[in-house]
Amino acid sequence: MEITGQLLLTVLMGAFLLGVAAFLARVEEWRSYTPLGAGGGAVGESGYGHAEKPAGLIRWFTTVDHKDIGLLYGAYATIAFVVGGLMVMLMRAELTTPATDVLGSATFYNSLLTSHGITMLFLFGTPIIAAFANYLVPLIIGADDMAFPRINAIAFWLLPPAALLIWAGFFPLPDVLPAQTAWTMYAPLSAGVGNGTQANVGVDLMLLGLHLSGVSATMGAINFIATIFTERAEEVSWANLDIFSWTILTQSGLILFAFPLLGSALVMLLLDRNFGTTFFAVEGGGPILWQHLFWFFGHPEVYILVLPPMGIISYVLPRFAGRKLFGFKFVVYSTLAIGVLSFGVWAHHMFSTGIDPRLRASFMAVSLAIAIPSAVKTFNWITTMWNGKIRLTTPMLFCIGFVSNFVIGGVTGVFLASIPVDLVLHDTYYVVGHFHYIVMGAITFAGMAGIYYWFPLVTGRWYQRSLAKAHFWLWMIGTNITFFAMVLLGYGGMPRRYATYLPQFATLHQVATLGAFMLFVGGIIWIYNVFVSWMEGARVESGDPWRLEATNLNTAEWDWFDTKRETSLAATDGGEDVQTDGGQESQRDS
Amino acid sequence: MADIFDKDTLLDLTVNVIPLGIILFFVVVFLVVDPFSGLGAYGQVLSMGLLVVPFVALAILTYVSGKAIAGDEKRAEVFFQGQATMEGAQTRHEAEAEVEGEGEQSANDAEARTDADLGVDDGRGDDEAAGTEDPDAESEAADGDGGAANTDDGAAGEAEATDEP
Amino acid sequence: MDENPGLSEEYRMASPWPLFVALGLPIAEVGILFGLVPLAVGGLVLFCGAIAGILREAEYAASGWRALAALSLVIAGGGLALLYADGATESDLVVRAYSMVGAGVLMFVGGVGGELFARDAEPAI
Repeated sequence: MEITGQLLLTVLMGAFLLGVAAFLARVEEWRSYTPLGAGGGAVGESGYGHAEKPAGLIRWFTTVDHKDIGLLYGAYATIAFVVGGLMVMLMRAELTTPATDVLGSATFYNSLLTSHGITMLFLFGTPIIAAFANYLVPLIIGADDMAFPRINAIAFWLLPPAALLIWAGFFPLPDVLPAQTAWTMYAPLSAGVGNGTQANVGVDLMLLGLHLSGVSATMGAINFIATIFTERAEEVSWANLDIFSWTILTQSGLILFAFPLLGSALVMLLLDRNFGTTFFAVEGGGPILWQHLFWFFGHPEVYILVLPPMGIISYVLPRFAGRKLFGFKFVVYSTLAIGVLSFGVWAHHMFSTGIDPRLRASFMAVSLAIAIPSAVKTFNWITTMWNGKIRLTTPMLFCIGFVSNFVIGGVTGVFLASIPVDLVLHDTYYVVGHFHYIVMGAITFAGMAGIYYWFPLVTGRWYQRSLAKAHFWLWMIGTNITFFAMVLLGYGGMPRRYATYLPQFATLHQVATLGAFMLFVGGIIWIYNVFVSWMEGARVESGDPWRLEATNLNTAEWDWFDTKRETSLAATDGGEDVQTDGGQESQRDS
Repeated sequence: MADIFDKDTLLDLTVNVIPLGIILFFVVVFLVVDPFSGLGAYGQVLSMGLLVVPFVALAILTYVSGKAIAGDEKRAEVFFQGQATMEGAQTRHEAEAEVEGEGEQSANDAEARTDADLGVDDGRGDDEAAGTEDPDAESEAADGDGGAANTDDGAAGEAEATDEP
Repeated sequence: MDENPGLSEEYRMASPWPLFVALGLPIAEVGILFGLVPLAVGGLVLFCGAIAGILREAEYAASGWRALAALSLVIAGGGLALLYADGATESDLVVRAYSMVGAGVLMFVGGVGGELFARDAEPAI
């Protein structure tokens, strides 16, 4: 770095710090004028005008309220989902022809591939779950707020810098190239050795960004564990803890053990890249060490991403099946079983690396065993719907879509757990199809079920029903077209991660792109629907918009919503009776 | 101990006994068949460890969580999921009692009700009388619900709420 | 956590510090990793300053300035450790070490100075 560069940086940094100081002074000034603490007294929830929060943009920058932070997480995840989705649309466009005709360069494809994976897993998947958990867990378990509200805010605010660092390679910065390591970042490629471009700063920045997102997830997890253990209301005993909170608790436990390990491995990789250590060099710990460390994190990460969505499904699906969840405690125990076993299966990602066959066999055994708890859940969802009075609302459609896609994604996965099958299908599109059935078909569907289900709770308005249904059908059909084509491509022997392919794969690739386009259109409809409805959707006219009272399936968060509505209506028309079964409200719901 | 781990709780825990059984099965198979015995003892120890450690960890967690959940069921009232903090929420036992009542009441107008269903309801009545000694309302309710209780729910719901979309 | 437990709508739900903890950390990381002195020093000051602010606000520390001074010792200690490690490796850690020590000294002076001369500037509780 030359002197002028350093000077410029110094000036910029100094100006930035001054700006921060000025901002802090301003916020402190606002604070000293605001009556604190004693303000509300015993007025209950009537203080929902946020006298305790500053107004405007500053409110969002300084909030430590779990609901606000949940909304921030949600907005962030949505942006990341759009970015990751646009990236994959470019990739799918590229894959319509066997050569690199569309993007013109395989390196750009590789960069998109890497970024798409990391964005979807770390910047969309984990945050969207945190959005639901932050908003809902304290409401459902009757906590005042999260146990550590400020740590909660720190955990969120680490994410935007993480995203900027991860995407840094795509910004027009000199000498910064995007990473092309794929999301698994296997050494030695990721260690920057050899003649490629992977020794460049862009990869370091991405690793730092990932490290930050790991720190964020860990802080969030500690917070959830503390909250669920210590802040529950008195009535919420372990036997009364709802299934969503159980999955968040299990997920947080997994994060607590998995993410610090990722952080350490990333630091080791950064040291290898920048300071000449040999953790993952052939003459040192060896590249396989990276795979062990990465997958010891990476496999629990799969369950970190899927358990809370399973919790959402277990929570929402019974509401529209008109029944209680079948075998509630089976679901709880199997969630915990998945949590433990997920740490004993990591090397099933490494069957073809030539590790000791006895180790392989052990990992196969545990991988087969972990299929049982997942299957138990699936049976429980199906049995819950069996003979139930099913209402095909949009959240319910997404729940059913989840179950359907999860069956396909799960069954394709069980085959991969078997060593001989895996040796044939490893690194083919079969694997890509399998895990996309889970991450898109299941996890994202559950996220959408949650978004539509709690949309009235958060916004007090209804989304547009027909658009939501169009969204669902486009996604349901699009998902199955895209990813089933990938499963077939894998059977045909199409290897994953390539920008080019043999002409015989062209048809199936084009089919997959067609499906991806349906997903794209559905996504646009979703974004439009959420934004427009949030601004000007029809107002919810009862505290029980889903009319759960009729089947005695209402839950604490809707109770909170009802109370909130009544207090805010108290001044005008005094609220209204909730139990208007099937009346005027029903015309508009869903 | 024996109080907490009664028959119903053990039945709930079978869900985790199955994966434990699978692991155990492979332990035995690998010990008996042992196709790679020529590769030395270290790998043998590692591969057994990879099975034994998850087995033990899962067994411990199943025990601890079973104790926490079943213990709390004995100690305090049990609500349906997400309803514990709501005012005037029904406990499971109240709900069951109501379902039973409705079942008898609406037996005439519900079409698909069979004697068998009513039989289950009657059985439930006994449980109810036994009071809080039946900790595991869930698996009871769950199993029974498949037949009788939910048909009831369904019928009751149908009558009140014209449905939506 | 001394958070005046009560209904969640009633106690204060804003704090300016978390945002800057989260901004300071990545800036400091980038600065130290790439040996960019201004980013390393500025990021560390921001990071530790915001942590001190939080400690004060949550009443874990009686004085934000003293908390800052305490944190500065940790940072300077880390810098000295890097300086020591520099002798053991081939890579050049000197710039990084001195930027950490420098940031530590800066914050120590700031903390002591603030404690002595600017007690009134304590963030309001």
